[in-house]
Amino acid sequence: MKKVYAKEELCLNCRLCEVYCKTAHSKTKDVLKANKYENPTPVSRITVYGDKMLSAAVNCRHCDNPKCVQACITGAMTKDEKTGIVSVNEKKCIGCMTCLSVCPFGCIKTGKFAVKCDLCQDEDEPACVKNCPNHALVYIDLGGAK
Amino acid sequence: MKKYIIIGASAAGLACAEQIRKEDKNCSITVLTREAYLPYSRPSISYYLKGAVKENDMYLRSPNYYIEKGIDIVTSAPVRSIDKKNKTVKAGRKAYSYDKLCICTGSKPFVPPIKNINGKVNAYTFLDLASTKAVKAKANGNTKAVVIGAGLIGMKAAEGLSKICKSVDVVELSPRILPSILDEKSARSVKKYIEENGHIVFHLGDTVTEAKSNANRITSVVLKSGKELECDMLILAVGVRPETELAEKAGIKVERGIVTNPETMQTSDKSIYAAGDCTVSVDMLDGSKRVIALYPNAVYQGTAAGSQMAGGDIKLDGAYSVNAIDFYGLRICTCGLINAVGEQYSDRTVRSGDKYKRLIFENNRLVGFVLINASENAGIYTSLIENKTDLSEIKTDIFDTPSLFMFDKAEREKRLKGEIA
Repeated sequence: MKKVYAKEELCLNCRLCEVYCKTAHSKTKDVLKANKYENPTPVSRITVYGDKMLSAAVNCRHCDNPKCVQACITGAMTKDEKTGIVSVNEKKCIGCMTCLSVCPFGCIKTGKFAVKCDLCQDEDEPACVKNCPNHALVYIDLGGAK
Repeated sequence: MKKYIIIGASAAGLACAEQIRKEDKNCSITVLTREAYLPYSRPSISYYLKGAVKENDMYLRSPNYYIEKGIDIVTSAPVRSIDKKNKTVKAGRKAYSYDKLCICTGSKPFVPPIKNINGKVNAYTFLDLASTKAVKAKANGNTKAVVIGAGLIGMKAAEGLSKICKSVDVVELSPRILPSILDEKSARSVKKYIEENGHIVFHLGDTVTEAKSNANRITSVVLKSGKELECDMLILAVGVRPETELAEKAGIKVERGIVTNPETMQTSDKSIYAAGDCTVSVDMLDGSKRVIALYPNAVYQGTAAGSQMAGGDIKLDGAYSVNAIDFYGLRICTCGLINAVGEQYSDRTVRSGDKYKRLIFENNRLVGFVLINASENAGIYTSLIENKTDLSEIKTDIFDTPSLFMFDKAEREKRLKGEIA
């Protein structure tokens, strides 16, 4: 399946991926309103780690055998058999964060519920990739089951 | 066509059935459950009680899913016996034959000996949807509830009830709350937070010795300390024990729980496997044998059992505890050996504001953590524990928010590609 991959040698630590992730997952879809005025503030599903010398943006790996799905105590976290996308059903999620406690990549964030990358399902390219100014994020298929 | 029977339709049973289906497309899979419901999330019951989750959203899969997957879930079918010799199980008036059987009977509530509670209509256990529905039907704004037990189940029951009832008292024999997941220091601050936010009154180091009643209704409970608490709803949540009766009667080896091969989940009978809370696990972190009655462990065991039953090659990597829970918005994540005793262990705690982070080490390895309001990327710590990583390989301060930049380039790139080391 196609996933987002980070190239740490190209990452500028500008964090625009986070800004545009929040925007894509906001109510207003407006970059200023989403990042400045929306309440609650949208949670970015991608996070830049590292420092000015070396950094990379990390988001969900949409694993073949996701630990978060296995460990989810409510059935809220599922992996779509067709698309391979791992996503949270907010009606079922109780916000216990067991998923976060087992994700070996640190890709699940805390909101009222578990928050994670959905690869911007309705778009042709995830917002983080589209808006990365230095092409440090790519959206490609490196194999892996759907 | 092979026939697989699974007894029990919760975390382990469902994981087992799904894994069998993945590995064997042409077999019959029958799951027998004594409950009247399709598989649902047991941990969700307290959220259902307080109204945060609807019953419909508690079901782990949609009804259609089982039809698509060809997994036959037979509800209200308590299994009466297992006949190892003829490879059949009896449920109701029907006998089901099997090639491979998996016992996933879970836990049963442990009810302590308390004078005058037998047959009382307002004494409840809190473990499944049926018992929760009974509690929800009776709890209201005038209810004075008493919960016995301040473990995970008792505390979640108390939290749920505190949103509905007039008062909630929690009685716990241990001197601290949540003894299975918290150490002494953190338990104190969590208790304070719950008292402030939940209006729950704790009676620690104390126990209920007797109930006073009017006909078949409990009206108050008497504590060992002599205190008497008004009570019109008593929740018995002292603890759980593995449900091993069927296995024992069938002559399968049982110690505290059903004994299995720790990798394949096979029991003392070659055709019979067991997974989940009914089994006794070997903790991979200290080699101790204990019952790890936690959801992720049940799923990992069920998956391994299902794979092995269907001739696959997934084995259990090793059992350990990992648990995440919240109380009134306070988030607690714990993993591994949190109450380790011994010279080889050391620990360090960093507190700042309402954040609490305690890491437990064995020599140069991480073997446990307690994180309160500090759970960011906790799964990376879990992976250090699971992989027994030598901490001298870690590039950053272990107390910083864990990230992939803890690892060297090779390991980091592996993880960035989604390959678990």
